[in-house]
Amino acid sequence: MVVHAAELKQAAIQGLTHVTGADGLADFRAHARDTLAAVAFPDRKTEDWKYTSLKALEKDHVRVLAASTDTPALPDLGGTQVVLVNGQIPDLDSLALPAGVIAQPLSSHQDKATTDMVGPFTALNGAALSDGLLLSITAGADVDGLIHIVHVASGTQAASAHPRLVIEVGSNARVTLVEHYIGSSPILTNAVTRIDAHCNSQVTHYRLQSEGSEARHIGLLEFELARDARVTSFQFMQGCALRRNDVHAVMAESGSDLRMKGIFLARGKSHIDNHVCVEHRVPNCESDQVYKGIAGEHGRAVFNGRIHIHDGASGTNAELSNKNLLLSNTAEIDTKPELEIYNDDVKCAHGTTVGQMDATQLFYLRSRGISEIDAKRMLGTGFVNELLLAIPDDAVQAWVTPWLADALTEGL
Amino acid sequence: MLEVKDLHATVAGKEILKGLSLSVKAGEVHAIMGPNGSGKSTLANVLAGRDNYEITAGSVTFHGKALAELEPEERARLGLFLGFQYPVEIPGVSNMEFLKAALEETRAAQGKEPLDSVTLLRKAREACKQVDLDAQFLKRGVNEGFSGGEKKRNEIMQMLLLEPTLALLDETDSGLDIDALQVVAKGVNSLRSPERAIVLVTHYQRLLDYIVPDKVHVLSGGRIIKSGGKELAHELESRGYAWLTGDAAAENA
Ligand SMILES: Nc1ncnc2c1ncn2[C@@H]1O[C@H](COP(=O)(O)OP(=O)(O)OP(=O)(O)O)[C@@H](O)[C@H]1O
Ligand SMILES: [Mg+2]
Repeated sequence: MVVHAAELKQAAIQGLTHVTGADGLADFRAHARDTLAAVAFPDRKTEDWKYTSLKALEKDHVRVLAASTDTPALPDLGGTQVVLVNGQIPDLDSLALPAGVIAQPLSSHQDKATTDMVGPFTALNGAALSDGLLLSITAGADVDGLIHIVHVASGTQAASAHPRLVIEVGSNARVTLVEHYIGSSPILTNAVTRIDAHCNSQVTHYRLQSEGSEARHIGLLEFELARDARVTSFQFMQGCALRRNDVHAVMAESGSDLRMKGIFLARGKSHIDNHVCVEHRVPNCESDQVYKGIAGEHGRAVFNGRIHIHDGASGTNAELSNKNLLLSNTAEIDTKPELEIYNDDVKCAHGTTVGQMDATQLFYLRSRGISEIDAKRMLGTGFVNELLLAIPDDAVQAWVTPWLADALTEGL
Repeated sequence: MLEVKDLHATVAGKEILKGLSLSVKAGEVHAIMGPNGSGKSTLANVLAGRDNYEITAGSVTFHGKALAELEPEERARLGLFLGFQYPVEIPGVSNMEFLKAALEETRAAQGKEPLDSVTLLRKAREACKQVDLDAQFLKRGVNEGFSGGEKKRNEIMQMLLLEPTLALLDETDSGLDIDALQVVAKGVNSLRSPERAIVLVTHYQRLLDYIVPDKVHVLSGGRIIKSGGKELAHELESRGYAWLTGDAAAENA
């Protein structure tokens, strides 16, 4: 049964009555509840959600989960692991973090919990938040190894988890962060992550979304870059029953540099929607976005890439490219670039394409004895290979490459 | 080894091969010549099993098996190799990764023991050397940015590694300078043996000075209209095709 957007919202609000959380976040939660009450849930007529419906959500999916004690098998990337099961922050005192990294409950700094973007799901996350995780990288620290933040979705019933992660990277600090979403549960993960890169800091960020096909995931990822900050973000995402990612990056001070590279896959009946927006608010910043999508069977992928260059942002250099590969004619990919440019002194380029697997290439490989499935896998990985080869951390590359190769081959 | 009998085939619905017969035995080298558009590449593609190339009548057997029932990769594993007239570029897939997959799957199907990666790399380097191709080409995307001649040498390099029993080389000599032609010919000759056969599609008698054929065929209008010994190639070189195709006007011109 398809639940109407208004009913879903009603269920979400009702579900909050038993939610309790850290006292330090009481005002924040109350404010979020007000916001939630005021905003509409998206339906077919909401422009931003034109290609993504909430039909994969039942009323129960907005029911907030109780804490879980599940301890699933975790992927090992050799870094320092911080595990959040269904959004619950772990016992922070027992974490063995590398020098320069401080973990605190977000409730200890309520003022840092806010985000720039507030939609219905971000509001729901705030309203349902028992506590979030605040990671601070001290100024000047050169953090050893990866900080591997694993979000586990656990449980067999429809319900929701609302992780919120705030990461502050101090001036001149250097850090590599991995946000990793796993689990075969059908619950809705409604995640909010905000990363503040302070002056001249250097952040390598990975977002790996490898939950199973039954998962529902709605996520907001925000970046704010201060003077001369450099952020490189790799986003590798597998489709599921519903996946919607909003990435919002703000070039807030001059000299900042953002590179985002993403691969998204929609196979089977899965759905994945990426809305990426980069805002250049000040002069002389650079951003470069390269996203590649693959959809097969009845998979559905959506990409919306927006570059917003404000009036004062002269000397901006912004690029965005989204190339897509369709593996079957029952799959669908909708891609749309949006440019809003209010300054003449900028360099801005964007391009989007949707193509099919090249029959001549496929035949060439098969004519050398390579099976059709392997040939398709090779062409599929070949299509995204430049992005995989760009991964600077060997352990991440070694994990991501076979994962995507398998996800590509599955069902072929 | 290869028996083609009264083959009719269509490309995208259009009949191109119209009753073609050809018999190739182990140990032989055949040359197929013929005017542009006569169906030479079509024959090669039909034999290799390309999509949209459909056999509508007649039969093709290879090592006694009906080719029509086999997938392209099964034909390759049975020992068929097509050297493409226009090898396609595959960015993102490295030549080495490609060769590894091709050799692994072909050898497994043929019951040969797998090659460890050190041996594989050594063999690939040797094959490159044999066709005068820098080993750096193994790291590049398959044919990506290769010059015309490099692409052709890459085809021969693959052939040397795959050791097919039947090599069908579609204009492998076109676009090669004289040195490259000799290199390619040497590579092809090194594969010649009593168990193997080679079919060369070419427009130039010159290649046949280096790879001497046992038989020469003229393909025109989708059929073999004349077969002969190596001297036929010389005759075609001096007289063209008109005397065979019945185009009297062209011959007298
Ligand atoms: N996909 C296609 N659709 C329609 N016609 C085709 C297609 N491919 C080939 N043909 C036609 O089939 C005929 C034979 O082409 P083929 O490539 O086999 O010729 P060829 O003998 O190899 O010529 P060349 O010497 O120029 O390489 C040509 O008339 C060509 O236009
Ligand atoms: Mg041809």
